[in-house]
Amino acid sequence: MMPAAQADKSKYAVELAGCTRQFPTPGGETYFAVRDINLKVEPGRFVSIVGPTGSGKSTILNMAAGLLNPSAGEVMSFGEPVNGVNRRASYMFQQDPLLPWKTVIDNVSLGLTMAGVSKSEAHAEARRWLEKVGLKNFADRYPHQLSGGMRKRTAIAQAWIVNPDVLLMDEPFSALDVQTRQIMENELLQLWQESGKAVVFITHDLDEAIALSDEVVILGAGPGSTVVGSYEIDIPRPRDLLDIRDDPQFVALHREIWGRLKIEVSKTYETAMAEEGDVA
Amino acid sequence: MTIVGSKKNGLSAALEPGTRRRTARTEMSPLAMRSTQLLLTLAVLGAWELSVRTGVVDEFFFPLPSDIFQTVWVWVSSGFVFPHLWVTMQEAILAFIVGAAAGLLLGFVLARVRFLERLLDPFLQMFNALPRVVLAPIFLLWFGLGIWSKVAFGFTLVFFIVFFNTLEGVKSVDRVLVDNARMLGASEKQLLRHVFIPSALTWIFSSLHISVGFAITGAVVGEYLGASAGVGYAIAQAQGVFDTKGVFAGMFILMIVVLIIDLLVNRLERHLLRWRPVQSS
Repeated sequence: MMPAAQADKSKYAVELAGCTRQFPTPGGETYFAVRDINLKVEPGRFVSIVGPTGSGKSTILNMAAGLLNPSAGEVMSFGEPVNGVNRRASYMFQQDPLLPWKTVIDNVSLGLTMAGVSKSEAHAEARRWLEKVGLKNFADRYPHQLSGGMRKRTAIAQAWIVNPDVLLMDEPFSALDVQTRQIMENELLQLWQESGKAVVFITHDLDEAIALSDEVVILGAGPGSTVVGSYEIDIPRPRDLLDIRDDPQFVALHREIWGRLKIEVSKTYETAMAEEGDVA
Repeated sequence: MTIVGSKKNGLSAALEPGTRRRTARTEMSPLAMRSTQLLLTLAVLGAWELSVRTGVVDEFFFPLPSDIFQTVWVWVSSGFVFPHLWVTMQEAILAFIVGAAAGLLLGFVLARVRFLERLLDPFLQMFNALPRVVLAPIFLLWFGLGIWSKVAFGFTLVFFIVFFNTLEGVKSVDRVLVDNARMLGASEKQLLRHVFIPSALTWIFSSLHISVGFAITGAVVGEYLGASAGVGYAIAQAQGVFDTKGVFAGMFILMIVVLIIDLLVNRLERHLLRWRPVQSS
């Protein structure tokens, strides 16, 4: 799994060095979403970021994507500072990102056509991807005619067709029902294993994080949260996600990481309760 | 907290029987609906005709519907109305095209350039607050009795509707769609083409329906206040000789023309917004 470019430590697929992001509040104060985040993702690695509600998970991903500038610190991708949108990365959003006025095939080929690829060529490639995600008979449908799982598959094809080196995923499957979600996770792992791409995967679900990842990063309670722990997941691949939750290695890792995450979760809960008390 | 909660429950409980009744009732077939509408029209016109003939209503103020239709027929068959209609249409179409184009352009620019929006907002609000009819006399002085004073007047009506709807439409575009397109490598121009324009179309169309009407309103009101041709002018002439039949005939003809134009806009809308789920349209 170790990449060839390991000698060159600056060539991380994603590197956040001392990244802080603050927002002004309506009351004129400063709200720290995340503080002093250090994160290194090697090419080809699957890294999950887990944290309680309000721990700034999406903020981190948006900084890695270049959609959000850090207030302090630096974001690098393959040794180059991210300035504007990260050209090496694709983003999978929690919400539905498909353009409702474009058919499935036009949505999937969007990244290619916007890069100047001819429409017929882009459509041919899009058809290949639609076949890969099991939607080749739905090319001419509009997104509203698809189920939630099918829309997710379309979104996966749309993000992967541009052949990015990094995939940034923000709780992509959280809106799906549990069964569909497990199927999608399996499909994602298969795609990823053939690809050698780096993945940064945001989730609040520790099971999902351990099952999918090479490394799980734990964020502390917000606001102003930072990385509080990082765990190597050495469960051998390929993994069968449908049975992995019974694997003794999985159970041991889960117990260890949950022991740490639990502290942050209860901190978040206590803060929320205290705030509610203030309001009352 | 508890009060709000119980209120909500009470409300939904109160609503429930109504919704159930609505779903249970069988829908009228389109043909039956059309016949009922026709019946209603005939009943209203018949009542009108009857009350004028029996003298309940003064014929001078409310001429007989049969007389109105006869006047319409005379205006149409003699070809009297067409030159006027043509002038009005020219004014309305020019006002609509120029107004909508300017509204769209400024709407898109201001929605994308926050500085300009903040800079121009008070001025736009000011002009929008101005009752537009008071501009008609001044436009008459500036642009004369010909079509241009009416085009200018129609422009001020159309522009603001299209502008505000476009601004709102572009600003209300789903953030995720924009971010996703940017991540897929969209330039500012491509964002406009693939995301902002299609997304704002629903808003733009709702404004087109209104602004088509306003373009014609602008033309007719302008003509009414001072012109040498146009349907508004014809109506004003009829009014000048106390010919209420002529006034009503002019109204009727305008109504039919606007309906036809609205039908065409609907067609275009259905075509351009064909991606929308059926139930929401």
